[in-house]
Amino acid sequence: MTDRDPFQSLWTQQPQEPFSMTAADLARRSARFQSTIRRRNITEYAAAALVIGVFGWMAWLIPVPAVKTGAVLVILGALYVCWKLHVLAGAGTPDAAAPLADFHRNELLRQRSALAGVWKWYLAPFVPGILVFIGGVAFAEDAGVPLSAGVMLFATSAGFVAALFAAIWWLNQQAVAALDREIAALDAGAK
Amino acid sequence: MTPTPDQDARYREAAETFGPALQRLAGAFEANAERRRDLLQDIHVALWRSLAAFDGRCSLKTWVYRVAHNTAASHVDRERRRHQGAVSLEAAADLPAPLSLAADLEASDALARLHAWIRALKPPDRQLLTLYLEDLAAAEIADITGLTPGAVATRISRLKTQLAADFKEPAR
Repeated sequence: MTDRDPFQSLWTQQPQEPFSMTAADLARRSARFQSTIRRRNITEYAAAALVIGVFGWMAWLIPVPAVKTGAVLVILGALYVCWKLHVLAGAGTPDAAAPLADFHRNELLRQRSALAGVWKWYLAPFVPGILVFIGGVAFAEDAGVPLSAGVMLFATSAGFVAALFAAIWWLNQQAVAALDREIAALDAGAK
Repeated sequence: MTPTPDQDARYREAAETFGPALQRLAGAFEANAERRRDLLQDIHVALWRSLAAFDGRCSLKTWVYRVAHNTAASHVDRERRRHQGAVSLEAAADLPAPLSLAADLEASDALARLHAWIRALKPPDRQLLTLYLEDLAAAEIADITGLTPGAVATRISRLKTQLAADFKEPAR
């Protein structure tokens, strides 16, 4: 590849714009990057805090033991998700100086792992709390609702939540399958 | 992050030696002028940060190209989530109005078209072609990309053939 073709000449002789970054510029932009990550993490924790606040308020307000228990379980689920987000966020930054194929493959694997595990660490922790909560609401003794209506309310609410969770899981599985195809293509191209 | 003297010195050396190549690389990965400048700054920052951990596992040249390309690929990945733009090498052949390189070599149109052609490639092909255009040897490209030299040669040959066909110029 020592033979210089016209495209190489065209490419390397293209005009350049003046560009330089001082040490202060580099440090400032680097700090900005860190603060962007911090802001993103704060947004995620704020969403969890909202869930905890709303369900905490309901646990305090609603005098039905099953509803209180359900709300507390939802709060515990949200706390678990927060801890998991914290662990994932602290999992380390990718090795920027890795060979390009390895870097790309590792990024794809990282995305795949996060998406494939969504059911386990993002959805499942809320399931017990939600089921107990809606069960408590549907079968509350002092609500005066007939058992059949309670069963219907419970089934409808649980069905809605199950459909929502299934849709999230299905979308993630599609994304995982697409990543698997991309990884397979990458592996095939590396040979 | 507290910079070390080695980090700053290595960065200055890298920026001085490879600055023009990094600017061309940003141009190959981002068409929008403002985002291109952002990408170039991100590349320089990533390079500066990475050099704090420079461990001599490869030459400074290989290190610089790896960090720069990985940063650019991540940029493309982020942009791709926002806009679906990249097409395959095969699809790039369908880009409109092939021009004659011989006639347009001196014209900015040829460079603009070359940029558009490169940006239409998927990131791995884009990386290979820009490294080839920087006149790096196949072994250096293999070291930077992590591909085998055989895979590098085959894919660059395909890219050159396709590029030459689109510009109506025989591959060399």
